[in-house]
Amino acid sequence: MERTQLMEMFKAKASEVAEKDFSALEESSVIADMGVDSLAMLEVVGEMERELEVQIPDDNLVGIETVSQLLDVVEKRVAGA
Amino acid sequence: MATDEFHVKLYRKFQTFFQEAEKKRRWNPVEDIPWSDLNPDAPESLALCAETFLGVESYLPDYIRGGLEAVRASSLAQRWFTANWGYEELKHSMALTEYLLRSGKRTEEQMFDFQAKLMEEEWERPFDTSRKMSIYGMFQEMATFVIYVRHEKLAKDHNDKALAAVYRFNARDEIAHARFYEDVTRVYLEEDREGTVADLAHVAKNFAMPGVGLVPDYDQRIEVMRDEGKMDRDVFLKKVYFPLLKRLDVSRQELVAAAAAERRAAKAAKDIEAAE
Repeated sequence: MERTQLMEMFKAKASEVAEKDFSALEESSVIADMGVDSLAMLEVVGEMERELEVQIPDDNLVGIETVSQLLDVVEKRVAGA
Repeated sequence: MATDEFHVKLYRKFQTFFQEAEKKRRWNPVEDIPWSDLNPDAPESLALCAETFLGVESYLPDYIRGGLEAVRASSLAQRWFTANWGYEELKHSMALTEYLLRSGKRTEEQMFDFQAKLMEEEWERPFDTSRKMSIYGMFQEMATFVIYVRHEKLAKDHNDKALAAVYRFNARDEIAHARFYEDVTRVYLEEDREGTVADLAHVAKNFAMPGVGLVPDYDQRIEVMRDEGKMDRDVFLKKVYFPLLKRLDVSRQELVAAAAAERRAAKAAKDIEAAE
């Protein structure tokens, strides 16, 4: 899956979970600045995992600050799946 | 409607909790803290953190009222636990107050003013049912435990053995409370896994520590506490959220499915309302 597709998926899932418009979001965006609680962000990740049929270990979800870092983790998992 | 087995299981959990508390955790905030070992030269940031903890703990009357309202009709064990919990939490406030006064960081007048200001606001319980409140208690007490442990280390780093002891006693109570709430949540899961997982997802999504928006200058205070005690999102996930889910044998995937179901239900309700 292309990186741009992952980004679009992330924006769509985040908008759905948080009921906010994230269409203008960029990879460099800081997750803490999105106004989405960290536990709600886990829900976004979970939705992506479900759609991509992968499971990301909990430890990999710690220390992530930007959308780009999160996509790196997802991308790596998808590539290894 | 909860079964008899539910009540019996919870009662046994409470008996164990209470016996342990009586045997191993009873302490006196005036007599058991080595007050002569406090460091009056410790930085103001330490006092500010202690005062912030005190501020959050000071809504105890609201927590007890809200907690008892939530569990009153639920079970005997939860009612009794809440009563005992209030007694134990009270000592946290007393110990922190003693610290601030004995260290000379605050005067009695300042303390009474602070308390009066705190009581201008009122804490409302964030969730409507005993199950959701038990889940909330589990996350919140565990998070508080983690924060107290970090501040115990900080107090030691500043050579304040008295404050370190205050945090150590407080933390020991908090982890005991967290474990009881965890036991209760486990019983709820045994009773109704689907409903309890849905509540776990709901509480996780709407979780906020008590005191947010209540304690004066809360945001600035939390900034200082984060700088000093290093509690952030990652610590919460690593030390509180993931370990608790693991201990309860609930996966993130289960929670995601439950959260999605809640979103669908909310949307359907909204659509019906719009159509009417």
